[in-house]
Amino acid sequence: MTKIMVVDDAKFMRVRLSKLLTGHGYEVVEAENGEEAIQVYKASHPDAVLMDITMPQKTGLEALIEIRGFDPQAKVIMLTALGQESMVVQAVQSGARDYVVKPFDPDRVMMALKKVLG
Amino acid sequence: MVSVNLLNPFVVSAGEVLQSELGVKATRGQLRLHKDTYVTDDITVLVSVVGDAWGVVMMGLSFDTANKVVSKMLGEEVLEFNELAQSGISELGNVIAGHAITKLGAAGYKTDISVPTLIVGKGSQISTFDIARVVVPLTTDYGTITLTLAIRESGNSGGRTGTRPLKIGGH
Repeated sequence: MTKIMVVDDAKFMRVRLSKLLTGHGYEVVEAENGEEAIQVYKASHPDAVLMDITMPQKTGLEALIEIRGFDPQAKVIMLTALGQESMVVQAVQSGARDYVVKPFDPDRVMMALKKVLG
Repeated sequence: MVSVNLLNPFVVSAGEVLQSELGVKATRGQLRLHKDTYVTDDITVLVSVVGDAWGVVMMGLSFDTANKVVSKMLGEEVLEFNELAQSGISELGNVIAGHAITKLGAAGYKTDISVPTLIVGKGSQISTFDIARVVVPLTTDYGTITLTLAIRESGNSGGRTGTRPLKIGGH
């Protein structure tokens, strides 16, 4: 089963995305900050990652750079609120495959995932 | 002096985000200008704005409306304003404010927002001191969400010099 890691400090977003993804037949693992994302990624080797940018401890951008450091093939999609365009540019330059703007459209999330999973 | 240029992005964004999240139109009620102390509803999400404009945005709603809104956003019934519901309502306030500062940016105001603060419990008093509040009721099929905006330009009209912490007191 294809495994997706959902990373967001807002519990609501994690639950909402997990519900969407499991409904589409994906297995989901969760992390609630950038630091935890790195640990969960190493432990569970997800096929793709949906990750918020603004988080405590380690931001999504920092976690992206670290994950790509030990797995250059990591398929990471950033979740962003409007107003974070400069961080989105940095994320894409740092290897993020795509980004989804909140409030997210479920179809847009699924389309972005299918694209990165090939 | 209340600037329409500063307030409109928040009102428009709230309408757009609510439409997107709830799939229904939010009808804007009569705008009111208040100079007295803000008294919290069952739930208040507070987001601070800093930069070329500064102040606070507050989104007030009842427990019933909040549970209905979160239920719709999550796609399953939420009957209690629990940790999950609190996170959902905070996220809603965060997204509305995020959209608004993007619109402010397009209008030439470089601003940033704080993480949302959730105040649960009716009757607490929040003073925005000398910044007048514009109150905008937004009515949806899920209940009324009241947007309260106390924002002004920094640099002009003594904006920055008036920087003071919010005062929050009991009822």
